[in-house]
Amino acid sequence: MVRVPAWIIPVFFVAPLLADSAGTLAFVQKKCIACHNASVTSGGVDLVALRNPGTFSKNREIWEHVAGKVKSGEMPPPGVPKASAEEVHAVTNWLEGEFARQDALIQPDTGLVAARRLNRAEYNNSIRDLLAVDLPLSDTFPQDQAAFGFDNISDALNISSVLLEKYADAAEIAVRTAMFGPAKLKPAVSHYPIPVRLNVLRGGKAPALDFTNYDLTGLSSRHAAHTVHRFPVDGVYSVRLVLNGHRPNQSMPAKIALWIDSKLVDQSEMDATDLEGQLIDFKIKVTAGEHLVSGSYLKELHGLPPSYNGPEPSTRPPGALISTRGKLSQKDIETLRKTGTKLKSDAIETRVDHRFEAIDIGGPFEQVSAPSQQSLSRVFVCSQQTPDCARRIVSSFGYRAFRRPLESSETNRYIALYALARQNGEPFQEAVAIALQGILVSPDFLFRIERTTNPSKRTVVFSSAPISIGDYELASRLSYFLWSSTPDQELLNLAGQHRLHLPAVQEAQVRRMLRDKKSRALVDNFAGQWLQFRNIDVVRPDAGKFPDFDDSLRYSMRRETELFLENIVQQDGHALEMLSANYTFLNERLARFYGMPGIIGPEFRRVDMSGTQRGGGVLAQGSILTISSYSTRTSPVVRGKWILENFLNAPPPPPPASVPALDDSKVGESASLRTQMEAHRAQPQCASCHSKMDPLGFGLENLNAIGQWRDSDGKIPVDASGKLPDGRTFQGPNELKVLMLGDRQAFYSVLSEKMMTYALGRGLERYDRQALRSIQASLLKDDHFSTLVLGVVRSLPFQMKRARETDSFSAKADNQ
Amino acid sequence: MNIITGKHVSRRTLLRGAGVAMALPFLDAMRPALAAAPPAVQRLGVVYVPNGIIMDQWTPAELGSNFQFGRILKPLEPFRESTLVLSGLANPAAIKAQGGGHAKASGSFLSGSVPKYTAGADVHAGKTFDQFAAHHWAGQTRLASLQLGCEDSRMIGNCDTGSSCAYTNTLSWQDPDTPLTVDTNPRSVFERLFGSVDPSLSPEARARRSLYRRSMLDSARESTQKLERDLGTADRRKMDQYLTSVRELEQRMTAVDADPRIPTVDKPAGIPFQFSEYVKLMYDLQVLAFQSDLSRVSTMMVGREGSLRTYPEIEVPDPHHPLTHHRGHPDFIEKVTKINCFHAELFAYFLEKLRATPDGDGTLLDHSSIMYGGALSDGNQHSNVNLPLLVAGGKGRGGRHVKVEANTPVTNLFVGLLNGAGIEVDKFGDSNGRVNLSA
Repeated sequence: MVRVPAWIIPVFFVAPLLADSAGTLAFVQKKCIACHNASVTSGGVDLVALRNPGTFSKNREIWEHVAGKVKSGEMPPPGVPKASAEEVHAVTNWLEGEFARQDALIQPDTGLVAARRLNRAEYNNSIRDLLAVDLPLSDTFPQDQAAFGFDNISDALNISSVLLEKYADAAEIAVRTAMFGPAKLKPAVSHYPIPVRLNVLRGGKAPALDFTNYDLTGLSSRHAAHTVHRFPVDGVYSVRLVLNGHRPNQSMPAKIALWIDSKLVDQSEMDATDLEGQLIDFKIKVTAGEHLVSGSYLKELHGLPPSYNGPEPSTRPPGALISTRGKLSQKDIETLRKTGTKLKSDAIETRVDHRFEAIDIGGPFEQVSAPSQQSLSRVFVCSQQTPDCARRIVSSFGYRAFRRPLESSETNRYIALYALARQNGEPFQEAVAIALQGILVSPDFLFRIERTTNPSKRTVVFSSAPISIGDYELASRLSYFLWSSTPDQELLNLAGQHRLHLPAVQEAQVRRMLRDKKSRALVDNFAGQWLQFRNIDVVRPDAGKFPDFDDSLRYSMRRETELFLENIVQQDGHALEMLSANYTFLNERLARFYGMPGIIGPEFRRVDMSGTQRGGGVLAQGSILTISSYSTRTSPVVRGKWILENFLNAPPPPPPASVPALDDSKVGESASLRTQMEAHRAQPQCASCHSKMDPLGFGLENLNAIGQWRDSDGKIPVDASGKLPDGRTFQGPNELKVLMLGDRQAFYSVLSEKMMTYALGRGLERYDRQALRSIQASLLKDDHFSTLVLGVVRSLPFQMKRARETDSFSAKADNQ
Repeated sequence: MNIITGKHVSRRTLLRGAGVAMALPFLDAMRPALAAAPPAVQRLGVVYVPNGIIMDQWTPAELGSNFQFGRILKPLEPFRESTLVLSGLANPAAIKAQGGGHAKASGSFLSGSVPKYTAGADVHAGKTFDQFAAHHWAGQTRLASLQLGCEDSRMIGNCDTGSSCAYTNTLSWQDPDTPLTVDTNPRSVFERLFGSVDPSLSPEARARRSLYRRSMLDSARESTQKLERDLGTADRRKMDQYLTSVRELEQRMTAVDADPRIPTVDKPAGIPFQFSEYVKLMYDLQVLAFQSDLSRVSTMMVGREGSLRTYPEIEVPDPHHPLTHHRGHPDFIEKVTKINCFHAELFAYFLEKLRATPDGDGTLLDHSSIMYGGALSDGNQHSNVNLPLLVAGGKGRGGRHVKVEANTPVTNLFVGLLNGAGIEVDKFGDSNGRVNLSA
């Protein structure tokens, strides 16, 4: 990183402030240095060494820390005489003013972001938008390294020959799919065994059947089966449901349903008491991509024998259906009785434990093998098989792939590939395909290269002063920020007309882009990493403790968070709603899981959560509560840390060496552990972090490790009360949220810092604080989501960049 | 989630047949390469298990050649004569380092260098000893080294209290600034070894495809070189990295074109759902690479530090890492021990495969040195001393339990391993001597 230390100098000579800095140092002398000196460096901080006038700028990060700790009341810690409110106010006020003053003196700087390689998501999306093919190409790429919490950071995105080979393979697949249709695949079978989730079969007690209020689709039931499968191409697939378990004899035939992404696609009947090994085969058309495949029993508690007192009891005679594979005759029954088989008067089978053993998915059959019209029209801007048309195809595709017009020498380079193929006897279309593949392995596609100068009028600037970026570069910055993809025609057109940099045009474009479905990328890639809910795809809650957690719940939890955030992004909701919303999006599965009555059917809909214990906002969502827990239990420490990092902008430092992580495994099981944690917090070296972390986590203790409400954990009632270091207390998640909302500023500062990091693709530096301050100030006035995005877009580092630095300058900077 | 793609049945065939049955036809296919290779080529491997070990179940009570295998190492008993258990080694670089206990441990492990405490892109550690060997032997094999792992590194946020994920995602650092990406997909490892060419293509079609691809790379090189004139230093550094990749890919294509044999084993379809199948498949691929002399160096992470993998198949449904902070709780200790044993069982499979593969005048195991263990001893305390380590393979040096002087840097062992593989070096990282492997 290039840092310019020039701003240090003026601070030394600002005499009028010394009185206040002296006052601050006196406060430190009185309150802090007993624990923060050269021999006792609590928290690794030695404040004695910092007693000099330059320290407030030179050791800025430490002083910011001091200001934060003193302001929140964490410091001085319990056991040390408290500072008076006036003292705290005076010291923190002065420090904050001093920081602002320093920031105002910093020379504006855009920072330096080297050419950014497309990451996995950006690669897939760019190919999708260029060629109208939706392929999981980057799944086989080596993983992108993340830095500063995001995987789109320029410095962390390297390239290797392994990755380059994958790019070449992916280019071949993408171009051939678009021009000649998907490769013909041999049908293959995938077998998904379904775990048994019925307690009675795991040696537990079966919950009583609830006939009056149950999910008629069967999707919420533990009898259902769910699996996620990636369908490689559009086509027909066979889905075989392997049944298991039993239905009482005399029952009406079982209705078995097949669902794709919670949409009913087909159903069938099975008339048997013993379902073990019975097969139901479906043939269905599926589009390429990952889908949730579910099997369920429709109206599974309807049509049971009258003795069950269930709804719509069976109208069949009592003797019906007592064989394992169909009906027994009266004679068979008599024979069975004679040989000692005990037959009750009306039934030998009483169990209602119908379920699924496995889902087998085979295919593709009748695979779509022709290219789509959409793909063809993206490539073939002309239809003659002439060199001239080849040239037009190459330059039009190159324009979209490189996100700028090609110079004629560049077009020639790719036309040479076409010509080579033609010389080797390839047909016209094959030769065009080779040229397009060449474009897709070029660095101009794989990297977002921002040339310093307009290629047409080359002027080399030897200065580090910021310069505006060109309109095409702006188009790319906007589209990769908001869509994680390549700019569309409208952005490129505006760039071509040199109008995109005009503030009104730009704002209209940002608003259009946020409304576009492609802004879903902000949810997946920005929020998914900031709030870490991407992890919901990989968590594995313990099946023994949480038999309700299946792929359908996983899918529903992810959808809830996605829909909730998409709504804020696309409808321009308030940023603070992420925390404070009194609504969410639920389907029947999740509503039942949350205990919300009256939500019927597998479709998601907006649900009012006001007045409920759970409340709304991401802290009430199953996805967030699950990813911030261990697989077997909650951890107040982990959740508290998560909140500090992601909402309060106060990430705790690593625990001191040789202090083992706190064992909170028995929380809830023995009341003394909360006490034990409090004892742990009484030690000053632990207190500074845990006194803040633990109460936040305890506030969410009513929500278990998969986000389900509980009033007690085992035998111990949940105590979800907490006290923050500054003395404020709360009871349960809703009150915790109210407290957090009181500190909107902290939330806006995390949000703007994270989004700035994500948008710029680099870590933030001191010179970015001006920009952050102004975004935070505008959010305090109006916190619509677009305010945040426009704030980032209008900031200096987004609109400008460093002019080309001279070799000597950068060499010097590198040595710092 | 099930991440099985493609040919499920043939994947199973590969797995089930991964023993001797598969090795033999493969050996035939590879005979020219073996004939060309010098006899008794040495291989170096590292197999890493995370989150520390229950040491009293690992360390044999006796020293010398009459030691008894403890509970965790019991599965290695059949390989007694090839197993040298080493006690007492430490990792002083991790002790000096700042940051999360797990990041410090694996981030410094194979280099003996203190990793920089950062969550950003400015990661910095040291060149690791496997890469030292890889560079020493560079050009003699198609791939200088392999970096494998059985746990997806798609981690979000920082990985261990403010330390970059780079320190826990990989063991191998090409140079102090460049962590090498771990390949977790068996299919992609296979393609790295054998190229991604569709074996059903005719030789002519393959030749044409190769010609076009080379031409594409040529034009990419041209445009990059032209582009660089307009770029600043930072961009140019990125483009240089790109050009290096182009050059390396061309070299690899040349090697594949010159030796276009196609392995007779099936390409793995993806990541097997069962963890044990997954780990075994990754071991199979290392055996393939060693056997056909496509690479001589590999590192493999059975899991990452801080791993939260659950092991329901051995009745451990709890995530690994929090269990290791057991604070003396017997249930937790038992579960961690079970995981430690399970990993050792899987490692025994690897040794079995190496021993069953003839190589020169002996077996592949005779000509390999595989270091097994981890960078933490007591996971509860994140302890960096008395590390759980053993060296498997080689001839005439196993069958012993040796205790070195307390706090001997683990880098002394690396010097010994490099020397044993015929690489002259006196010092590596923070080493202050050499662990002599021979009896």
